[in-house]
Amino acid sequence: MKALSIAYKDLQIFFKDRGSVIVLVLLPLLFVVVMSGALGSIGQSQEKDSRTSLPAVNLDNGAMAQALLDGIDKAGGVRVEPYTETDAATALDEASVPFVLTIPQGFSADVEAGRPTALHFVVHQDADRTKAEAVRLVIEGVTRDLSLQIQLLAALEQMGQMQAGSPEAAEAFSVERMQAQATSQFKSASLQPLVDVVQKVPEQEAEREENEGLTLADVAVPGVAVLFVFMTAQNTARSIFDEKEVGSFRRLLAAPMSKAALLIGKMLPNFITGLVQLVVIFAFGIFGLKALGLTPITMGKSPLAVVLVSVLLSICSSAFGILLAALARTPNQIGGLSSLLLWLMGLLGGAFVPLFLLERFLGPVPKIVPHYWANHALTNLMVRGLGLADVTLDLLVLLGFTVVFFAIGLWRFDFD
Amino acid sequence: MPAILEVDNLIKKFGDHLAVKGVSFSVEEGEVFGLLGPNGAGKTTTISMLTGVLEPTDGTAHIGGYDIRTDLDAVKKINGLVPQDLALYPTLSARANLNFFGQIYGLRGKDLKERVEDVLRIVSLTDRANEAVEKYSGGMKRRVNIAAGLIHNPRLLFLDEPTVGVDPQSRNHIFESVLRLNRERGMSIIYTSHYMEEVELLCNRAAVIDQGEIIALDTIKNLIAMLGGGVIKVGVPKVDDTLLTQMSALPAVKEATLMPQPIAPPPVAGESIEQKEGKPLTATPVVKVVAENSQEAIINVINFLSQRDLQLTSLKILEPNLESVFLHLTGKKLRE
Repeated sequence: MKALSIAYKDLQIFFKDRGSVIVLVLLPLLFVVVMSGALGSIGQSQEKDSRTSLPAVNLDNGAMAQALLDGIDKAGGVRVEPYTETDAATALDEASVPFVLTIPQGFSADVEAGRPTALHFVVHQDADRTKAEAVRLVIEGVTRDLSLQIQLLAALEQMGQMQAGSPEAAEAFSVERMQAQATSQFKSASLQPLVDVVQKVPEQEAEREENEGLTLADVAVPGVAVLFVFMTAQNTARSIFDEKEVGSFRRLLAAPMSKAALLIGKMLPNFITGLVQLVVIFAFGIFGLKALGLTPITMGKSPLAVVLVSVLLSICSSAFGILLAALARTPNQIGGLSSLLLWLMGLLGGAFVPLFLLERFLGPVPKIVPHYWANHALTNLMVRGLGLADVTLDLLVLLGFTVVFFAIGLWRFDFD
Repeated sequence: MPAILEVDNLIKKFGDHLAVKGVSFSVEEGEVFGLLGPNGAGKTTTISMLTGVLEPTDGTAHIGGYDIRTDLDAVKKINGLVPQDLALYPTLSARANLNFFGQIYGLRGKDLKERVEDVLRIVSLTDRANEAVEKYSGGMKRRVNIAAGLIHNPRLLFLDEPTVGVDPQSRNHIFESVLRLNRERGMSIIYTSHYMEEVELLCNRAAVIDQGEIIALDTIKNLIAMLGGGVIKVGVPKVDDTLLTQMSALPAVKEATLMPQPIAPPPVAGESIEQKEGKPLTATPVVKVVAENSQEAIINVINFLSQRDLQLTSLKILEPNLESVFLHLTGKKLRE
C-alpha cells in the first residue's frame, strides 16, 4: 500500500512535467512512423511495377528459353526479373523474394528436339501461396502454349518432310488427316506437355533463420516499443536521485516501511509508464499506421502472450532503472550512463536495424541485451503470428535479465 | 519523568572515519533537548541513527522503550523527522505533500484528512495549502517541512537545523510552533542547531557535540554557569606558569590558562630557517581568564599586570552564553 502511495506520488510528479510525457509518448510514435515509412520504402523498392515480380534464372540462354521468358512477361500480371543462380538462392534464403523460376541448361535444345524437359519453380514456404499459385499458372499457361506450338510445328514439319519424300502420297495428307493430326497433338500437349513445371517448396531446415518472410517495416513497431520502454528506466534512476538530493529519500527511510517497499514504490511508476507506452505504441501500430497508409501491425494470434511479454518487458525496464540508480552517483552520470547504455542496447536489440539483418553482421552479439529477447518475442507474436509456446525462451531470458538487474541494483544500492 | 530516549554508546563509522565516537545521553518525555555543535560535529549522523536512516556501527538506543536495532518499525512510528534539507516535492502542493507523507505513515481517509488540516493549522499554511511548494518563500517551505514531520503526531520529534536560511519572521513562527507543540501537546523534541540563541530559547537541556563526541551535557543554565561570570582573554608580552598560578589566585577569578598558540607558518620559498627564526614565530600569548564576576576580575587582572610592568597587548570580554561556553570548551566558534 505504501509502495502504491510512492508510485502515485511519482506519477503525479511525472505527469506535471509535460516535456517528459511528450518524450515518452509522442517521440516513440514519431520513431514508429519514420521507421515504418523508411523501412517500408526499402522493402517495397523492387515492387514499383504493379505486376508481380518473378525472379528468373536462365541457365540455358537459348532461343526457346528467351521465348518462354518473353511469353511470361507479356502474359500480363507477371514481370520477369533476371537473376543469377547465386543471387536467386540468396534472395530466396533471405525471403526477400517469394519464389524463383529456373530454366535448366539445355532447355532450348530439348524443346527444339521435342524431348520433354522441366522448369523449376521454387516457392519459399512463407510465401503468399495464392500469389505463388497464380504465377505458377501463368508460367504453365505460357509453357503449354510454347509446347503446343513446338509440337505442332514439329508435326507439320514431319508431315511436310514425308510429303516431300513421296509426292504420290499427297492424298494421304488430306485436310481431314491434317485436322486429326492437330487434334492429336493438342491432346498430347495437354496430357504429356513437352515442358513440365515442377514446383518445389523447400522443407523447413533445422536451423532455419526465423526472420525469413518479414518485411523491414514489420519489425519497426516492436523494435521502437522495446527501445522506448527501456528509456523509462532512466526516469526511475533520476527520480531516486532527486529524492536523495532534496532529502525526501531520508524522510522515507525514517518512515515505517521496508526498503523493499520503498524500491518497489520507485519502480512502479516506471512499470506503469512502460505499459502505457506499449498500449499507445501498439494502438498506433495497428490503427495509426493504417490511417497513414503504412503497413500496420496486428496483435497476432495470441494477444495474451503479447500482454505477458509487455508486462515482463516493463518489469525488466523498471529493474534496470534500479540498477542505473545504484551505479550512477550524479545526475550527469545518470544521463551519461542512460544515453550510453540505453541507446546502445536499443541498437543491439533491433530498434533501428531489424534483428535478422543485425544477426547477419554481428552474429550472436545482440543476444547479450534484454532488448533483443523482448523484440524477438514481440516480433514472433505480432508479426509472425506465433504463439506463447514459441516465445517461452524469450520470456525466460527476459525474466533472467530482470532478476540479475534487480539483484545487482539492490546489492549496489546506496541507501545511506 | 520517564526517558523517551536513552542513547547508549552510539558509534558510526564511515570507512576509516569515525563520525560519531560513542555518544550517550537521555531525553525525558516532554523535554526539549538541544544538540549543539558546528557543522560536521556528528549531530545529523546521530539523528540519522536514531531515526533509522543509518544503521549504527556499534552501540544502541531505546526510544519509547524500543531498541533501535531490533524494533525499528515501532521506533519509526514514535519518531517524527524534520530533516535539515527541504525534503519536499516542489511541484506538488503542500496538501499533496502532506497527504503523501501521511499515507507513508499509514494514515488513510478521514484520519489523514484531519491530520493534514491539523498540521496545516500548526504551521499557519491552511490558506495556501493548494499551491505548489516551489512557489513558496524559503520560510514557508521550512514550515511545510516541519508539518510533514508532524503529520503522524509523533511522540518524539527530531528537528535538524530547522531554521537554516529562514527569514526572522518565519524563524519566530517556527520557535512558537515548537514551543506550542511541547507545551500544549507534550511532544518531546530534539532540536539540533548551531545557533546558540535558539537552543537557549527553546531547550531545557543540551548536549554540546564536537568531532563526534559529547563534550558537555547539562541544563542550559548549568552550561552557561560553567563560565561563571564570563571569560576574559588577556594578551600579554610573556607568560609563564608562575604568572598563570598567580592570576588564578586573584579575587573573582576562577581559572587562568594559556590559550593554544597559533602554529608558525611554513618558511617562504627562498627564505632560510635562520631568517625565519629571526622573526616572532607566534602572535602575542593570550591568557584565558574564567571569571566569577567579570567586572571585578577585569580590574584585578589589570592591576596585577601593571604591578609587574606587563603591558596589555589585547583584551576581550566574552559574555556568559552558550556561544562562549562552546568557545571555552572547544577553542573554536560554532560557525567556523
